[in-house]
Amino acid sequence: MEWASQLCENRGLGSKMTDSKYFTTTKKGEIFELKAELNSDKKEKKKEAVKKVIASMTVGKDVSALFPDVVNCMQTDNLELKKLVYLYLMNYAKSQPDMAIMAVNTFVKDCEDPNPLIRALAVRTMGCIRVDKITEYLCEPLRKCLKDEDPYVRKTAAVCVAKLHDINAQLVEDQGFLDTLKDLISDSNPMVVANAVAALSEIAESHPNSNLLDLNPQTINKLLTALNECTEWGQIFILDCLANYTPRDDRESQSICERVTPRLSHANSAVVLSAVKVLMKFMEMLPKDLDYYGTLLKKLAPPLVTLLSAEPELQYVALRNINLIVQKRPEILKHEMKVFFVKYNDPIYVKLEKLDIMIRLASQANIAQVLAELKEYATEVDVDFVRKAVRAIGRCAIKVEQSAERCVSTLLDLIQTKVNYVVQEAIVVIKDIFRKYPNKYESVIATLCENLDSLDEPEARAAMIWIVGEYAERIDNADELLESFLEGFHDESTQVQLQLLTAIVKLFLKKPTETQELVQQVLSLATQDSDNPDLRDRGYIYWRLLSTDPVAAKEVVLAEKPLISEETDLIEPTLLDELICHIGTLASVYHKPPSAFVEGGRGVQHKRLPARAGSGESAESPDVGQAVSAVSDAPPAVIPSQGDLLGDLLNLDLAPPTSNVPPVPSSMQMGAMDLLGGGLDSLMGDESETSASHYRTEVQSPQPPECSERELGGDVGGSPAMGVSLGGAPVGMPAGLGAAPAVGGGLGDLFDLGGGVGVTAGSYIPPKTVWLPAMKAKGLEISGTFARRSGVIHMDLSFTNKAMSVMTDFAIQFNKNSFGLAPAGPLQVLTPLSPNQTVDVSLPLSTTGPVMKMEPLNNLQVAVKNNIDVFYFSCQYPISLLFVEDGKMDRQVFLATWKDIPSENEAQFQIKDCHLNSDAASNKLQGSNIFTVAKRTVDTQDMLYQSVKLTNGIWMLAELRIQTGNPNSTDLELSVKCRAPEVSQYVYQCYELILRN
Amino acid sequence: MISQVFILSSKGDHLIYKDFRGEADKDAVSVFFEMVTALSGDQPPVVMSHKDLNFIHVRQGGLYWVASTKTNASPFTVIEFLNRLAALTKDYCGSLCEKSVRMNFALIYELLDEMVDYGYIQTTSTDILKNFIQTEAVTSKPFSLFDLSNVGLFGAETQQSKVAPSTAATRPIMSHRSEQGGKNEIFVDVVERLSVVIGSNGVLMKADVEGEIRVKCYLPTCSEMRIGLNEEFSIGRSQLRGYGTAVRVDECSFHQAVKLDEFDTYRILKVCPSQGEQTLMQYQLSDELPCAPPFRLFPTVEKDYGSRYTDCDLLSQELSSPDQTAELQLKNKAILWSIPRFPGGAQLSALFKVEVPSLSSASLLEVGPVSMSFELPKQTCTGLQIRFLRLSPTQPGMSQRWVRYVTHSDSYTIRI
Repeated sequence: MEWASQLCENRGLGSKMTDSKYFTTTKKGEIFELKAELNSDKKEKKKEAVKKVIASMTVGKDVSALFPDVVNCMQTDNLELKKLVYLYLMNYAKSQPDMAIMAVNTFVKDCEDPNPLIRALAVRTMGCIRVDKITEYLCEPLRKCLKDEDPYVRKTAAVCVAKLHDINAQLVEDQGFLDTLKDLISDSNPMVVANAVAALSEIAESHPNSNLLDLNPQTINKLLTALNECTEWGQIFILDCLANYTPRDDRESQSICERVTPRLSHANSAVVLSAVKVLMKFMEMLPKDLDYYGTLLKKLAPPLVTLLSAEPELQYVALRNINLIVQKRPEILKHEMKVFFVKYNDPIYVKLEKLDIMIRLASQANIAQVLAELKEYATEVDVDFVRKAVRAIGRCAIKVEQSAERCVSTLLDLIQTKVNYVVQEAIVVIKDIFRKYPNKYESVIATLCENLDSLDEPEARAAMIWIVGEYAERIDNADELLESFLEGFHDESTQVQLQLLTAIVKLFLKKPTETQELVQQVLSLATQDSDNPDLRDRGYIYWRLLSTDPVAAKEVVLAEKPLISEETDLIEPTLLDELICHIGTLASVYHKPPSAFVEGGRGVQHKRLPARAGSGESAESPDVGQAVSAVSDAPPAVIPSQGDLLGDLLNLDLAPPTSNVPPVPSSMQMGAMDLLGGGLDSLMGDESETSASHYRTEVQSPQPPECSERELGGDVGGSPAMGVSLGGAPVGMPAGLGAAPAVGGGLGDLFDLGGGVGVTAGSYIPPKTVWLPAMKAKGLEISGTFARRSGVIHMDLSFTNKAMSVMTDFAIQFNKNSFGLAPAGPLQVLTPLSPNQTVDVSLPLSTTGPVMKMEPLNNLQVAVKNNIDVFYFSCQYPISLLFVEDGKMDRQVFLATWKDIPSENEAQFQIKDCHLNSDAASNKLQGSNIFTVAKRTVDTQDMLYQSVKLTNGIWMLAELRIQTGNPNSTDLELSVKCRAPEVSQYVYQCYELILRN
Repeated sequence: MISQVFILSSKGDHLIYKDFRGEADKDAVSVFFEMVTALSGDQPPVVMSHKDLNFIHVRQGGLYWVASTKTNASPFTVIEFLNRLAALTKDYCGSLCEKSVRMNFALIYELLDEMVDYGYIQTTSTDILKNFIQTEAVTSKPFSLFDLSNVGLFGAETQQSKVAPSTAATRPIMSHRSEQGGKNEIFVDVVERLSVVIGSNGVLMKADVEGEIRVKCYLPTCSEMRIGLNEEFSIGRSQLRGYGTAVRVDECSFHQAVKLDEFDTYRILKVCPSQGEQTLMQYQLSDELPCAPPFRLFPTVEKDYGSRYTDCDLLSQELSSPDQTAELQLKNKAILWSIPRFPGGAQLSALFKVEVPSLSSASLLEVGPVSMSFELPKQTCTGLQIRFLRLSPTQPGMSQRWVRYVTHSDSYTIRI
């Protein structure tokens, strides 16, 4: 065993092989020695020598100099020696291509050997020698081996085709190996089938459009049959291949599911997960009311639970997958909460994953149990885990409203332990609870204030300061508390400084009399003594706001904050669907699409879940009754079928957008408003921290909702508007707050701009059409169109007198309609209309009129009266008229809402031949108040996530997919999700109108 | 698809390196080792990526078993494969350690060659592999089979790894070729792992059992083995069998080779065991233990504000027997009480007095929970028994059959 002991001696060097010089000089003697041994006559000695060579190879020594000597040992009947030589060949052939040719003869000869082991060995090794010159010699032997009588040889040859294809794809096609490989799918030996499937799948991935792996019901049937007989590893290949198939209908889908289900009880977790992947995908096609659907759901839980009893490595990977499954179909595991409880000896990364899933599964039914567990975790030893457990309690409170009170009292108990990091985490999460349930738990503030001194982490300090500022009017000594933080202002982290600044301004606005000194102090600390631009800019903004217009300041600083959403870390719906298609793969562990980490084209085709049978149908369904019942299933009820009783319901939500939100022109993007808006956001946004969203809303100006998040921090200094206004102001600010700043206007003016600029550059207005021909109205012709300008809906009418007499006394009235449109004022046709004269009138409309569902939904019946008669006509308005300006949804809310709306309500449309890129489309749509919430690019596809809000408060969510890679594919795909699915097709019509004009 | 497989020692030495697809560099090995040693405690080590190469690894026998891939491969497949590779290495080389891997590298390369082709896993079954493997295992020392009274449980690693591997378990399965005197033996083990949480009020909050039936076979030729379980063994909640106390489990899964045609009626597992170690059946039981949990604890915690010290220290301890030990582990904030033997039906007590700096009423909230690690031989919590173990046709010559039971603590926690 000298080579082994020698190996042991060298092991210290093995890991630092970079210093090759050292080895080549000292080991020269060794190489000579080996050379001699390799050429020895004794078989045993030869074998030992080759072993030594391989041992050196493993530790990284260069033994390529021995190539000819080793190849000389190849012609032997000793299988063990032959295998060793082949091992060496595979490693070095590439670096010595000319020498490798020497081995070809032996390979070809071995492929004819009577022993199938040797035939297979030769064909396997030849494929691994990645030398172009060898490939041509490989073809003949490979062709024979593909038809060999021994299945072991055939299955090895099948893989060899994939190897050869990787080296020389053209050769494989020319030689017709692909057809032979396809034939092997029908082989009698399941292992051959499995390898053929694996090889074809791999080759097919590099030819995405080829029909190589032609999956049709017949081949699927063959595969399903082979599935039962294969080894476990073969089963995985076959299941993964099945997962790429899209069944024709739900019946086929069910029958495949039925045949795959037995795999769920396999002992090999990889088989189980591949089966889960197939089932999760095909389940999508099954109607939910099918009995089998329920059965399948039940069958999925036990295997997933079983995975959690495996070793920690598998457990972790399983938990990452379960996390996805729970987000997609929470019903599968809703009764299995207990298995996710943490064991004390779980590794920390398993504990954290379990914690995450526990919260996702938390519901009213199990919350008591969960809370009791979390409280236990909060007393464990591991600091990181304890922190996460405390945070989890906060997340429970936000997720399950009924439990909020319990969670708060649990947190208070934990604060009583006075364990420093527990207290700090608890305060951070209580702040979030305040955000979710304002004015509910303020009684605990006193307890929190007691712990002020023990807070030493920035996040906890910032949270505490936020609480004090937010509830300054309830805390008697708020000024003292905040003042105490001010002493060490410059030593605090930016997060705390910003928060302290805001909190003191809030305090000042609430109790102006006692705190003037304090606010001056903090403003001067922030603006004069700080070199942090974010802090200084925020300081200046407050200063100007306070000095120019304290009322506006109040509106801005103390503006009502949007509630924080329940689930903060949901995966985007399309990404989730894609990840579900990749269950059991690395993508499901990273929670990233494969294209994000796999190089080149291999295995990165974009996968989508199949569409559920019958989905989207209800949107087009003419059956009103059915549509209405769908609405009543999904509150809030949106469109009442008939009558005013229901109309009242709607009116609750019907405040016209102009009443509390100043109209924001769609062209804002170009104005100073946006620059300021973006600037403000970035100033207030606290990018570095997770609680960014929280701080960002702090000083939310009432107007610019659509600029948020887009340019975080990007234009703090670069914005010309900011530059001008700040540059114009004296650097040393006037000391007295009462005195107006030298540069009048300041921010106040900028804010005003928002209300003043009323341009409708972007929004699309259809051309006027004739609504009432003169023939039908005794000579009065009315043509018109609808427009939305500055947030007000207008009906633009042209009256033409084609009669012989003068027309006077015009008046207009609307019938009840779906969205309560009504004239906001009388029809202003002032002068009498002479014959052949035309007058243009713009009639402002409100949406507060009586409501009745019309068919079609956007139909409007109008009555126009003049001195001659009353005339009736009906017209249809584009539903984009009703899209309000504050229709941009917060990202998180968007995610949660998208998930919340059942997938039956999703409708798919296609917009053909549209040549816009995603930015142009987004701009165009924004002109009509269709707001892009987020954009994601996957491969050659841009996906725009858009939100729209109607005047009656209905939200509509849309996903617009635009191909970017291929100039020939100009079709856009649109998915619309809405609680009132009957609106979807009208939204689609608007998209078409807007994008085409 | 697996791109490379390598085995590293705990110090990062290359023991085995095999490139299957020629798409990644050998540097990957050092990159992996740097990454894995630089990981902090709370980062999941299982899957790591470097540029476009993904590493998946497990640790067994103190070694890193690593596979790399460039595709969106299945980590389950890879982990299962690496575990099988480790198990096969153990079967073939006798034991799993740096030394045995070093000495048998040629054998392991040969195994790898048959197990994986171009990154596709071909087989991991000993039955199939034994047809191809030419290299003989090299063992570090001859071993004797005489001391069978000491036969421990192979593979039944507990978290404390206190079970010394028995000599029987470290015998290479193929060595019968050279040692003609090797005995024909078969071991059937029923191993259960128990997870229990007992609340501070003494109520059983959670009790899960994960069990498995394992076979380690040294019989040279394959013959059918029939294993009879308790007839009243039932799966799921609805099913009840027999008149005796039901032996019930929630879920059950079987090795692919197990034939179940007599299982439904007679509770007989039929299998032709291949050489080496296999898990024939795995089962779980949640929440309904048929018996009381094996250990109870009656804790009392008192505080004494008397004196003030600045260091945390174990002041005194009173243990009920001299062979027990106790020590304070400051790093884990725990006292470790070791009990070498715990006779059935007995009660042991211990009193620990700990000085804690700045004791407050809240400090008591931090006391607990108590976690126990133990091993109970000759017992199963579910009550699963092996009625009989028959080989047919009867093996010529001496064939010995061993059935063993053991219950381990997986996580046994008592809250205070």
